[in-house]
Amino acid sequence: MLERFKTDILILGSGGAGLFAALHAHQANPSLQVTLATKGLLGKCGCTRMVQGGYNVALNPGDSVERHFMDTIEGGKWLPNQDMAWKLVTTAVERVRELENEIGCFFDRNADGTLHGKAFAGQTFDRTVHKGDLTGIEIINRLMEQVWARPVRRLEEHRAVALIPARDGASLSGVLMIDIRTGLFRFVEAKAVLLATGGGPTMYRYHTPSGDKSMDGLAMALRAGVPLRDMEMVQFHPTGLLAGVDTRMTGTVLEEGLRGAGGHLLDGAQRRFMADYDPKLERATRDVVSRAIYAEMRAGRTTPNGGVYIKMGHLGPEKVAKQFKGMVERCADCGFDLAGGLVEVVPTAHYFMGGVVCDVDTATGLPGLFVAGEDSGGAHGANRLGGNGVANSTVFGGIAGETMAAWVARNPASGEPDEDILGAELVRAQLPLTAKAGDLNRLRERLLDIMWDDVGVIRNAAGLARGLDKLGAIEDELLATGVPDGDRAFNLTWHDWLNLRSLIEISKVITGAALKRENSRGAHYREDFPEAGDLATSTFTVARQRGGRLEISDQPVQFTIVRPGESLLKEAAE
Amino acid sequence: MTNTIEVSLWRGKADGRYQTFSVPQRENQTVLDVVTWVQRNADPTLSYRFACRVGMCGSCAMTVNGRPRWTCRTHTSKVVENGRLEIGPLANLPVIKDLTCDMQAFFEKWQKAKGVFAPSKTKNDPIEKILPGSPPRQAADAAIECINCAVCFAACDTVRWNEDYVGPAALNRAWTLVNDVRDAGNRDRLSAVAAGGGCHACHSHQSCQEHCPKALNPTASIAGLKRRTMQAYIRREL
Repeated sequence: MLERFKTDILILGSGGAGLFAALHAHQANPSLQVTLATKGLLGKCGCTRMVQGGYNVALNPGDSVERHFMDTIEGGKWLPNQDMAWKLVTTAVERVRELENEIGCFFDRNADGTLHGKAFAGQTFDRTVHKGDLTGIEIINRLMEQVWARPVRRLEEHRAVALIPARDGASLSGVLMIDIRTGLFRFVEAKAVLLATGGGPTMYRYHTPSGDKSMDGLAMALRAGVPLRDMEMVQFHPTGLLAGVDTRMTGTVLEEGLRGAGGHLLDGAQRRFMADYDPKLERATRDVVSRAIYAEMRAGRTTPNGGVYIKMGHLGPEKVAKQFKGMVERCADCGFDLAGGLVEVVPTAHYFMGGVVCDVDTATGLPGLFVAGEDSGGAHGANRLGGNGVANSTVFGGIAGETMAAWVARNPASGEPDEDILGAELVRAQLPLTAKAGDLNRLRERLLDIMWDDVGVIRNAAGLARGLDKLGAIEDELLATGVPDGDRAFNLTWHDWLNLRSLIEISKVITGAALKRENSRGAHYREDFPEAGDLATSTFTVARQRGGRLEISDQPVQFTIVRPGESLLKEAAE
Repeated sequence: MTNTIEVSLWRGKADGRYQTFSVPQRENQTVLDVVTWVQRNADPTLSYRFACRVGMCGSCAMTVNGRPRWTCRTHTSKVVENGRLEIGPLANLPVIKDLTCDMQAFFEKWQKAKGVFAPSKTKNDPIEKILPGSPPRQAADAAIECINCAVCFAACDTVRWNEDYVGPAALNRAWTLVNDVRDAGNRDRLSAVAAGGGCHACHSHQSCQEHCPKALNPTASIAGLKRRTMQAYIRREL
C-alpha cells in the first residue's frame, strides 16, 4: 500500500541542518507547507545532539573570520571548497547570534559576562563557543522547541528509501519513505527536498555516531546519479571506549581533553608507547594518535578486548573526577573507573568529510535537491576541525531553508513522479521480505571487520583491493538473506537490513576513492604513499554512479581565495 | 558455562504480555545491550527505540524492574535481581509496540507550558553580557541540562492521575526560561503554568527528582514556579 501526499518543502533529517532549514524556510515564507521527516524522534536522533565540544566562531575582537578560514583550510589540507569554507566562517558569526538571541541557546560566559570560547585542537584562537561539554544538547533542544512551536508537518520515525525523479528526468519529484511505526510506504511529492540525514561512518568496527545513522542519504544520492566528493575522507577519533562484544557503548568518544590534560596511553603490557611515534606524545594530533594506536593493535600489543589503555589516575582521581565529570560518570555507569583505573580505548570512526557536491547556496546537480550538514561535501576537505561540524550543519541548514523558499517561488509546480522508478524502488525496499530469513547480524559484524581491517586508519593498495572484493561478496550474501515478513510495524530487523545495504554501498565508494588517492592527506593515510603530494596541484576525488557503474575521477582544487603558501592573515604575510 | 539473565520483555501493544528470553550475561553490559541481544539473536521481531547510546538523546528510556530508567547507561549489575530482569515500555505514554511508546503528548505538554524561548533581540544585536555567577543564570543552569527522556514523566503519580497535568519536565523547562533574563515571554508563560494542569497541580511527591538520570530536581523548579506565580498574582500581573 502506498499513501501519497504533496508538500512544498520536504526536509530529511532533524539534526542542526534539518531543524534550521525548517525554521528558515518557514521564516522566509510562512505560507509554504514545510514537512520534516526524520528516522527517529524529532531532534532526538542524529549527531548534532551528541556534540560535546562546541561551535567555532570568530566573535572575539582578537580573532577574525580570516583566521578561522585559514585554520579551516590548513586543517583540511588545502582540499576544502574555499567558497564553502568562507561562507561557513563568515555566516557562523550571525548564526551564533541567532542561536543565542532568537533560538534561546544559553552558552557559557566569561567572568565579565561575554561569550566564552574554549581552546580546541588545530586552531590558532580559542574560539569554540559551548555549553559545558554538552553543547549539542543545548543547541538541539532549543531548536526542536522552536520547530514544535511552528506549523511544520512532522513525520517522525520515517525512513527515506529513495529519491524519485520527475517523469522527464529533469528534476526531483519527491521521496519514497517507510513509516517505521506502521511499516507502510509513503510517497511525499515536494517542490524542494533537503538531504540532511547526516553521514556518519557506522560501517567501521568502532564508531561514534548515533545508532540510527547508516549513510542512507548518500546511498540515495548515489543511486540518483548525484556526484559525491572526498569519499575517502573518514575522520577517526583516537579514544573511543572499548567495552567488549555486544556492547552498544563501544566506540563512543572519550573526549580529547583527557589527553590534553595529561592522560597517558599504555599498551596491553601497560607500557607508555606514544614516544615511539611522536615527540608530542599523547598530545599529538588526532590523526597521529589514531595511527599510533592502530599500529600497536596491528602489532598485537593489546589489552584483553583488543585496544590500548588510557590512564588518568596519576593526575589525582579526585581532580580528574571533577574536571571530567561527564566522562567519568559515563564510564562509571558502564562499569569503568576512568578517574583512578585503566580504561580500554580504540580509535573510532567519527565523522565523514565526504558528501554530495553542492554550491555555496546548498543546491546540487539535481534540480530540486538541496543538501546540508554531514551529507554535503567540500567545506572540510581532508579533515574537519573540532567545532566546525555543528557550525557547518547550522550555517548551511539555515541557508538551505532560504534557498529552498526562493526556489519554490521560482518553480511553483513539482514534477509528476516517474512511476516506473517509484515502482522499482518499492520492490527494492521490500526485497529482504521476500528472501529466506538468515543471520543478518553475522553479515553486519563482517562488514565492520572488513572496513576496520582493510579500509581503516592506515591503508594500502593490497588491503583496499581485498576490501573491495570482500564488500562485493558480502553484498551478494545480503541480497540473498531475508528478514521475517510478519508484522511490518516497527520492524527493526527490516531496517537493519536496509541500513546494511546503504552502508555496504557507501563502503564500496569509500574504498574506491581511497584506492584512487595515491597520497596521504588529513584523515586519509596510505602507508604505500605516505607523502602529502604537491599542494599547488591538489585534486579531490569525485564519485558518481552511471548506468550501475561507479566512476571515480580526480578534479583539481580551485584555490578561489587563497593559494598554498599564501595566507589571508597580515602577520603571516609580512 | 556463562551466566545468563532471564529477561521478561513486554510484547505487543497496551493489551500485550511479557515474554521471557535467556540472555548471556557479560561483564560490561547495559540494559540496552540486553534488549539488542534479544533482537539480534533470539527474536528479530522485537521493537525498541534508541539513538545515541550514551545518555544524550533520551530515546531509550524504558521501565526496568518497575522503575523508569534510561537503558543505555544502566549497567545490568545495578538492576538484575536474582538473575532476572523485567523490561517494559515507559508508563504514562501510549505503547506503540513492545518497548516503544509514543512521546507526542510529552512534547505537546512541553509546548503547553510555554517551554520555548521568546526572543527579545535579533541576530543583528550583540550577544547579551550575563555574569556567570548571577543568581538567575545559576538558577537557569541548575535545571537546563534536561535531555527530555520522559523518565520523570513516567515516574510521576500526578501525571498518572491527572491527564491535564503538563508534568515535571515541561515545568522544569519553563522554570529555566523564567530565570532567563533574555526571554520576553514570561507573562504568558506564568499564566500558562499557573493555569489548570500547571505547577499548582504538583503534589510534591518528588518522584521526578528521585528518578532523573541527570540528577536534576524538577520538584525544586516547580516549587520556584509556585512561588513566582503567587507573587505575580499578588502583584496583579496574572
